[in-house]
Amino acid sequence: MASVTGDMLGPDEFRRVADGALALQGADGVEVLLIHEWGGLTRFANSEIHQSIAREDTELRVRVVKQGRIGVAASNETTPEGAAATARSAFEMAQVVAADPMWPGLAPPSEAPDVDRFFGGTARASAEIRASAVAEVIGRCASGFSAAGAYSTTAVELGVANSEGQFCWAPSTQASLSTVVTGADGGSGFAETFAGTIDAIDAESVGRTANDKAVASASPKTLDAGTYTVVLEPAATATLVGFLAWVGFAGRAYLEGRSCFDGKLGQQIAAPSISIWDDGADPRTLGAGFDFEGTPKQRVSLINDGVFRDVVFDRRTGKEAGRPSTGHGLPSPNPDGPFPLHLFMDTGDSTVDEMVRSTERGLLVTRFHYTNIVNPMESSITGMTRDGTFLIENGEVAGPVRNLRFTQSILGALASVTMVGRDAHLASEFFFSASRVPALKIGEFHFSGVSDH
Amino acid sequence: MLDIAKTAVAAARAAGAEFADARAGADERESLTVRNQEMEGIDRSTSTGVGVRVLVGGRWGFASTSRLDDADIERTARLAVEMAKAAQRLPGDPVSLTPVEPAQASWRTVVEEDPFTVPLEEKVALLMEASRTMQGVAGLSFAEAGLDFFRRSTWFASSDGAEIEQVVTNSGGGIEAVAVADGDMQRRSYPNSFRGHVKAAGFEHIRTLGLIEEAERIGSEAVALLAAPECPSEVTTLVLDSGQMELQIHESIGHPIELDRVLGMEEAYAGSSWLSPGDRGTVRYASDLVSITADATLPGGLGTFGFDDEGVPAQRVPIIVDGIFENFLSSRETAGVVGQTSNATSRADGWSNLPLIRMTNVSIEPGEGSLAEIIGDTDEGIFMSTNSSWSIDDKRINFQFGCEQAWRIEHGRLTTLYKNPNYTGITPEFWGSCDAVGGAEDWVVWGTPNCGKGQPGQIGRVGHGASPGRFRNVQVGVR
Repeated sequence: MASVTGDMLGPDEFRRVADGALALQGADGVEVLLIHEWGGLTRFANSEIHQSIAREDTELRVRVVKQGRIGVAASNETTPEGAAATARSAFEMAQVVAADPMWPGLAPPSEAPDVDRFFGGTARASAEIRASAVAEVIGRCASGFSAAGAYSTTAVELGVANSEGQFCWAPSTQASLSTVVTGADGGSGFAETFAGTIDAIDAESVGRTANDKAVASASPKTLDAGTYTVVLEPAATATLVGFLAWVGFAGRAYLEGRSCFDGKLGQQIAAPSISIWDDGADPRTLGAGFDFEGTPKQRVSLINDGVFRDVVFDRRTGKEAGRPSTGHGLPSPNPDGPFPLHLFMDTGDSTVDEMVRSTERGLLVTRFHYTNIVNPMESSITGMTRDGTFLIENGEVAGPVRNLRFTQSILGALASVTMVGRDAHLASEFFFSASRVPALKIGEFHFSGVSDH
Repeated sequence: MLDIAKTAVAAARAAGAEFADARAGADERESLTVRNQEMEGIDRSTSTGVGVRVLVGGRWGFASTSRLDDADIERTARLAVEMAKAAQRLPGDPVSLTPVEPAQASWRTVVEEDPFTVPLEEKVALLMEASRTMQGVAGLSFAEAGLDFFRRSTWFASSDGAEIEQVVTNSGGGIEAVAVADGDMQRRSYPNSFRGHVKAAGFEHIRTLGLIEEAERIGSEAVALLAAPECPSEVTTLVLDSGQMELQIHESIGHPIELDRVLGMEEAYAGSSWLSPGDRGTVRYASDLVSITADATLPGGLGTFGFDDEGVPAQRVPIIVDGIFENFLSSRETAGVVGQTSNATSRADGWSNLPLIRMTNVSIEPGEGSLAEIIGDTDEGIFMSTNSSWSIDDKRINFQFGCEQAWRIEHGRLTTLYKNPNYTGITPEFWGSCDAVGGAEDWVVWGTPNCGKGQPGQIGRVGHGASPGRFRNVQVGVR
């Protein structure tokens, strides 16, 4: 059996390494961030494995403060001597810059939520385990169809230590299996499972779901662009939520009047059935219970019953807002400011089948592809449908259609939500981390173009 | 460090690899960002390690580690072999590599002024002054300026006997002005968006950019956009500046010609291509004014190197000749499918990643006339400048791109300024409508240092020589 590369450093070794940086003389403050990641990935295409890899790397990122002037340096030399050298490099940079008038100081000592998200079997998952799961996926393909995708198993050890006495360390694991099954006549289907442990990966289900969608989506017809009612499966919902975080929930953009929520605090901006929050301590999400500055992650209600309530903060934007950090700081330096990495959308009471049955004419969308921002302050984005787009007529799935390009305001879509799925899924997005979201039925969703497949 | 790569190759062979190559690498980065004359970030990072790639039973295995003592190198090499053996769990055609002459060579970017030895004080002072000058524009909200420096040292060894040392250095800088008012936000960037103009060069490149000299103009343009009307929705003639042509080439030509995408190897993530392996020499990709070349020897290009990460020497390859598609970008694994040998485009995002087919410098060959002459020759249309947004489907057919600003062209003159412009098209139709390609006087070697591809995600650094272009019957102002 193959074994994963990279042994965990552990809290004691991290403390010993960090002490090499924290011993820096002459600084007012020192912060050490450890990101140690290892794991494997089995990638497949045309129903063959074409990449089988194991990786291990460490980043030791040191932030040094002297009279409000800040320098940051990083290296992957994980020794006390390496940490000390990195700290000296950061100190050198801090000497040449002006003081940051909004410098909030380093995180004070505090207890992070006790979340147990490390699964040894996932950290040690062998290439054989991944290959067997991939074989299961491929085995679900109908004749004439083939599978592509990836099975990734990753362990991350995150630690923050600073000269204020804050010390936190947490390991966590992730496992994700995704596939696109394709076949003749343009059939294409997607499925994914994203979890903290390989025990939650159901390869047979992933393969079967993608295959069924691929078979059903063969020989698609062209549908004119226009405004349609849509039923979005969770993977498509995750795109809306992920981009809303980018253009709306980040505290810095909000404070600077660049957020799509500018001037909308307390206003009804979505359907009453829409509630979105970020909660890094929720056992149903992934990662550590503290942020990259060592601040415990707080639950933040962002949209509640359709009303815009709040944004997330790190220490610097929190100071600017006169609020404490909500534990959403990213690794420094970070000109973009805080970001929510553990988004949840509240569930409703509908199934996808019920959404389809209640739709006279509309589209069922499996997921979106290569979405990007059109106008951030209008929360307007564009992207393509992909891997299973179906016309709904008279409450039934009438057949597959060629992929369409949408250009749509996210807030406009959320205001038009008429049904919310009763089951939430952890769904990844092309550019962002995963969100736990349900399916949505949206009354009006604008498609601006059509592709040829 | 070459010894580390050779140790890894020897260990992989001892563990049963039929073929092995290894890259020991050291990356250095330095980044500075100033905003409204305050330091937003200044950081340096280094990363050192080794990656080992093996073939066992015709299957790839790869492993990488940052731990560089002999025992860890040998363990990593054995792990790569184990990875390859696990890949044999499924049936499939064995990987066959096209031949390459093993090279013993060294290569490095031509650098006149090492960017890592230029004093930080000088860099900070440049950014502060550019930011201060932009802030002098009334109504401007944010005045940002940044510099980025990158150096990758690679020591490559293969079981075929290759031993190659290579040092690539990139330098880049840019300014960005942001105006926010009344629920609107407008941005102007110079020389290009998304961190400016990055080239394979030293600090001498930064000295040519004119960041301070252009700061007031850029700031004024951002503020002016706040009062401009929205770009109207219509089908019209579209003129693109060189910077937007870079993005247009990158997304709608550079990616679809990657042979691994064409063969379905990226199907599940970024997608595949509208091209098929048999399309060489037969498919009309563009009008006959359009010729595209992939040139890894182009001075200053981010895709310029001596050897790719399979040890294949850099090449200049015709991609589209007079509008006809001629060649894919290929690797040793894929080139045989189209009856060729590798044209040296297999590159990895550092020592820790497996090489993938990446663009080198995919450039449009200069045509005739300056941007001003193309606009002067246009009776009616829209001129767009500087990319702000991009989206394209999984076969690289349907695209929609946004720009920072646009102007109405009337009788050869720029008249009304528009904000939030964008346009959409179908790749071969759009390129087929090209009826003007600018000449060498406005042809610029741009850098794209943020090209994402692969799983786990890799960031590629690629180049594009681009001049302005004109396209007919384009849908602009998509909403």
